[in-house]
Amino acid sequence: MTSPLPTVRTAAETSANTEVTRPAKTSGERPASRVRRHLPTSPWLFAAPGLLVVAVFILYPFVSTVVNSFTDRRTLIPGEFVGLANFRELLHDDMFWTGLRNSVLYMVGVVPALVLLPLLLALLVQKNIPGITFFRSAFYTPVVASIVVVGLIWVWMLDERGLVNSLLEAVGIGRVGFLSDQWLLLLSAMAVTVWKGLGYYMIIYLAALANVPRELHEAASVDGAGAVRRFFTVTVPAVRSTMVLVAALSSVAAFKVFSEVYLMAGPNGGPAGEDTTLVMLVQRTGTGLTGRVGYASAISVVVFVVTVALMLLVLRADRKEDA
Amino acid sequence: MPISRRALAAAAIAVVLPLSACGSGGDDSGSTDASGKIQGNITFQTWNLRANFKPYFDGLVKDFEKKYPGTHVKWIDQPGEGYADKISADAAGGTLPDVVNVSPDLVAPLAKAGLALDLDKAAPKYKKEYLPGAWASHQIPGTDGTYAFPWYLNTGPLFYNKGLFKKAGLDASKPPKTYDALFDDALRLAKKSKGKVATLANVPTIEDFGRYGAPLMNKEGTGFAFNDAKGVELLTKYKELYDAKALDPQALTATPESTGKKFLTGAVAMNPGSALDLSKFKKDAPSLYKNIGITDQITSTGKVNMYVMGVMVNSRTKQKPAAVAFAHYVTDAQHQMEFAKKVAIFPSTAGSLDDPYFTKQDGSDETRVRIAAADSLKSAVNYTPVLFSEQMKTELRNSVAKALQGKESPKTALDNAVKACDRLLQQQG
Repeated sequence: MTSPLPTVRTAAETSANTEVTRPAKTSGERPASRVRRHLPTSPWLFAAPGLLVVAVFILYPFVSTVVNSFTDRRTLIPGEFVGLANFRELLHDDMFWTGLRNSVLYMVGVVPALVLLPLLLALLVQKNIPGITFFRSAFYTPVVASIVVVGLIWVWMLDERGLVNSLLEAVGIGRVGFLSDQWLLLLSAMAVTVWKGLGYYMIIYLAALANVPRELHEAASVDGAGAVRRFFTVTVPAVRSTMVLVAALSSVAAFKVFSEVYLMAGPNGGPAGEDTTLVMLVQRTGTGLTGRVGYASAISVVVFVVTVALMLLVLRADRKEDA
Repeated sequence: MPISRRALAAAAIAVVLPLSACGSGGDDSGSTDASGKIQGNITFQTWNLRANFKPYFDGLVKDFEKKYPGTHVKWIDQPGEGYADKISADAAGGTLPDVVNVSPDLVAPLAKAGLALDLDKAAPKYKKEYLPGAWASHQIPGTDGTYAFPWYLNTGPLFYNKGLFKKAGLDASKPPKTYDALFDDALRLAKKSKGKVATLANVPTIEDFGRYGAPLMNKEGTGFAFNDAKGVELLTKYKELYDAKALDPQALTATPESTGKKFLTGAVAMNPGSALDLSKFKKDAPSLYKNIGITDQITSTGKVNMYVMGVMVNSRTKQKPAAVAFAHYVTDAQHQMEFAKKVAIFPSTAGSLDDPYFTKQDGSDETRVRIAAADSLKSAVNYTPVLFSEQMKTELRNSVAKALQGKESPKTALDNAVKACDRLLQQQG
């Protein structure tokens, strides 16, 4: 059976074949030789603009943040090296632990929903029936909507006198403090994150589902498997890698959540700051004319370490499954 | 030719190293000498004024350039939201405009970092043109100078919904004037409406503690003191209001915008504001406007709260004479008076408040509010300590919220807030 992929020649093969395919030698140097001579450096030249951008906008801020985390730098005052003092202070800062708790809870609450619900949604809109494009677009709309607009809409809906509470009161349940209770506020923000992220992950799953061989479903059907069984025995194994990818992406995003909680809980982070997440704490501590840049950098370093650890954990779990 | 790892590392360092020179520099605050010819290009930054007052500022700039040939003023206006962050980014990046619209709490860190020009040294001749209290409002504890020209002053009345007062059986013509009367009326309103109508939607701020009579800082200005008996008493009363739903349940997460909306919809009976709000009520809530009541700020000290706005000169400006001249031009008596007639603010220049515009009634609500506010300004106090940073405001709000939720006693909550604010004050240096 011939491979559908174009043949890739090795350097040795290319070298051997040049004897046959090489055109007659003409005066001067051949163009192919010129290209080969510049090969080792030219990739770096092509990459240089990108590398420069990475160095200035990613590498430098990153290194700067790590360096600042060991100083008592403030917005307008360079500060001095204080060793691990900022990290030691973090251990005794109640607000840091509140932020860490909320960020972890956010991840635990949001990630399973963002792994499963978009998959189910993708299965629903996968079928080519009349009008399905409308539904695909509708589910994707929250993804392209501004998070500020989304946040404001949900704040209006969940307000003490908003649409949701009016409905709840009309059916006799009474008004619920979605935006005044510490835990309900966090849950409400999670719901907004899930609602906004559904369409994005649905598109990723749609691409993965398109690659699941139809023959597998047909074979399972012939063997008597129903829709649910086919989902667990054919679909889930086929998109498992995509599920891992979605889990990794959504867990990092959830751990770094800022906008939803900021918009719904207010700049203070909910009642008594109880809904503050780690990134909100970075913003609150490190900005403004009196911002504690060194301390905020220390929190940022913790966020970085945790997100890297999360990625490694997910990838490791994926590799184990593959083995 | 392959590039070695060492060469790559060297290239990376070459890219990154020069950047490490960015950020705030030393404390070279430059000289305070503002004498010399008034000329050159300067930038002037204001805070949320372009939308409503573009013609005024365009005219102001044009007149200044005409008066001082050879000068050119570039006016920049920034949104109110995140203004402090914008200034801090400019200050840290060395791009702070030459003349900047600031409030005293913004001046404090800039002055401490040597970025605000000391006007007591650079422009002492102008001091007598301003109200003494207004001139002093930009003096920073721990420093010797005055770091901004006082611009406009503002204070605001308290608006109340007469309809809601009447429904609760209260006399709408006699709104509360003291905190005790306010608390009594609020509890009655909540009881009558079965918790559906709150009287207030904001948790107490540092200004409330000041108006209630609690000392905010010690005499030396080295530590906070709002956890005294008066402060604890105020917070205890607010806890009673919160439990009775006389303080809106969402007050713990409220912003000035959200409380304004609640007042517009009749969910809240009282809200602080300014004369500017009257036109907003007329347009957005006509039924509320028919029922609007206007009263003075609640205060137990007899002195209302006053907000002060200033115009600072960047100490590192290359055009010091022009920058100082323009900052003074914007804030002199003539231009403050012109600006006051366009918007509900009050001049900080000596004698301006005696103008008939601020003393003579014409029967309209706007004039009544303006005259009452101008009168109260004569004894008003800026209760916000200049050293009270955003981080400190957050600490106080969090502690107040813990007390209102019953997680901490009012005394413990305020002790913790003072402790946290003192720690932040020490870290500020």
